[in-house]
Amino acid sequence: MPDFSYGGTQDLAAGAQRLVSKRPDLTMLSRTADSLYWVSRYVERAEYLARILDATTRLTNLPSAYGGAGTEWHSAVLTAGCEEAFAKAYGEANERNVCDFLSFSPDNPSSIRNCLALARSNARAVRTALTSEMWDALNGAWLELQRFEKKRMDREEFARFLDWVKNVSLVFDGSAYRTMLRDDGYWFSRLGVYIERADNTARILDVKYHVLLPDTEQVGGSLDYFQWTTVLREVSALTAYHWVYREAVKPLLIADLLILNRRMPRSLAACYENISRFLDLLGDAYGRQGPAQRQARKTLASLSNTQIETIFEGGLHEFISDFITENNRLGGTIIDQYLQ
Amino acid sequence: MRISISHTISYAYAEPARHITQILRLTPRDHDGQHVMAWRIEPTIDGRLQAGQDAYGNIIHRFSADGPITEMAIQVNGLIETVDLAGVVRGAVERVPPDVFRRDTMMTMPGSELRSFVGAATSGADTPLGKMHALMEALHETMTCVPADQRTGIGAAAAFEARAGIAQDLAHVFMAGARHLGLPARYVSGYVAHAAALPQAAGAHAWAEIYLENYGWIGFDCANGLCPIDTHVRVAIGLDYGDAAPVRGARKGGQGENLAVRVTATEAGARASNQ
Repeated sequence: MPDFSYGGTQDLAAGAQRLVSKRPDLTMLSRTADSLYWVSRYVERAEYLARILDATTRLTNLPSAYGGAGTEWHSAVLTAGCEEAFAKAYGEANERNVCDFLSFSPDNPSSIRNCLALARSNARAVRTALTSEMWDALNGAWLELQRFEKKRMDREEFARFLDWVKNVSLVFDGSAYRTMLRDDGYWFSRLGVYIERADNTARILDVKYHVLLPDTEQVGGSLDYFQWTTVLREVSALTAYHWVYREAVKPLLIADLLILNRRMPRSLAACYENISRFLDLLGDAYGRQGPAQRQARKTLASLSNTQIETIFEGGLHEFISDFITENNRLGGTIIDQYLQ
Repeated sequence: MRISISHTISYAYAEPARHITQILRLTPRDHDGQHVMAWRIEPTIDGRLQAGQDAYGNIIHRFSADGPITEMAIQVNGLIETVDLAGVVRGAVERVPPDVFRRDTMMTMPGSELRSFVGAATSGADTPLGKMHALMEALHETMTCVPADQRTGIGAAAAFEARAGIAQDLAHVFMAGARHLGLPARYVSGYVAHAAALPQAAGAHAWAEIYLENYGWIGFDCANGLCPIDTHVRVAIGLDYGDAAPVRGARKGGQGENLAVRVTATEAGARASNQ
């Protein structure tokens, strides 16, 4: 197992009073760029956690006659990348513990609550760099969250909560898309979205890769079918899958969709297409190319030049582990090059 | 280096063509040495343009249009960011094993004269890499790279006999030599930007890649006498020119075809793509 802890956590001391670029007409502080980047990352992460919880709830609601292994909640914690913190705080991975830990726990640095709190505090620090729509989305979400926290939630209420989290992310993302000036501020915020999204998709694949491997495949096994569709549901890709491949759900094709298909907005290739594009725009605007551009292009090229069969031959698990490491490294390179 | 490329292929027909079908290998892919920042293919007439890939992984476009067509052009514009990897090709799409490229084709049949030249030129070197460098230098010295209107013969043997040919012929001669020595060799079509180090003019270009154990594919450009640097943009590969040609096509009618090609490949300013 690779290092599961989030490579992406903000160094709050970073982002000093340095300018992102040496060009005199571009005066954004590294600290501003840093906050914009992390606002988007945290919002994206909150949405991802809501998706995992939603998909896991669906999976555990199946009748036990389908032969579920009963480890769904544990695997939700794994996918969220906070196994160690969870083991310390709770112990048993059941529905109540996991939902609480991933949603509201103040002790979990990557709980939905903390993600939204961090997004908001970063946003407040660079309030003038955001449009009022973006700020309202985050601030409103923070206030609304207090109401949810106070409630005792049954399953139905919790499902409503998860939908609400996804909605917050939609509204924030949509506001950025519709109202933000297309300059370095926007590009940094997009980088945050896509680095986080690539990480999230890779994590889902990493935890679930064993159900995608051919040797565990029981032909017609109903559990496998539900596991596979859960993977697709986690990234809202079940319908897309049928549009693209027009055949029964198969592990190889699921991996193809989530790794190599650029038309699928959460696939690794699509994320890197965007990362590379926004890094190019930054490089152009600042008149300098650096290691971040080179590294992103290299990953994009390798994702464009390979085929899913080749990845399976070389080992899906190894590929995903390498990808997560590389993606974390790129996050680090972007921080070194621009944000501190 | 950031290279701005503009490639226009214009056709005019004395008698209008009723139908045209073409396969365009005019789109580069990313690898470690190059990154496509922007790329567009625009035919000047209406028709079907479908993207796809061939067996080597080259990006191809199938273009077809119905006439009557008296004139048309395919316009290609793009921006590429390259880095100098001293000819080593890493991270490129590899759909077929290297051994496939040991096969001789009509274009790369060496004559007896070329075979003995290859033997003499490479006898001093003891590694395959050394031999290839020696062969490249010897061919660069011996052969003249001429403009298309002074081309004397097609194919490796004919070009070597004349000691002259276009860049395409030089690549074929070099490939013939490498395959004669038992090394996998493939043809590369692409562009080359102007640079002080290069004797050849900027524009469309062709060179060869040789597969060497422990190194992988390495490019050799006989026309310029060096391994490709950051001025070279790789577009398509194949067993010879026929596999990697920028345009191959057929038409109905359209007697009296007049073809004109204009290529520019120049170093672009850093902010060229920002507008």
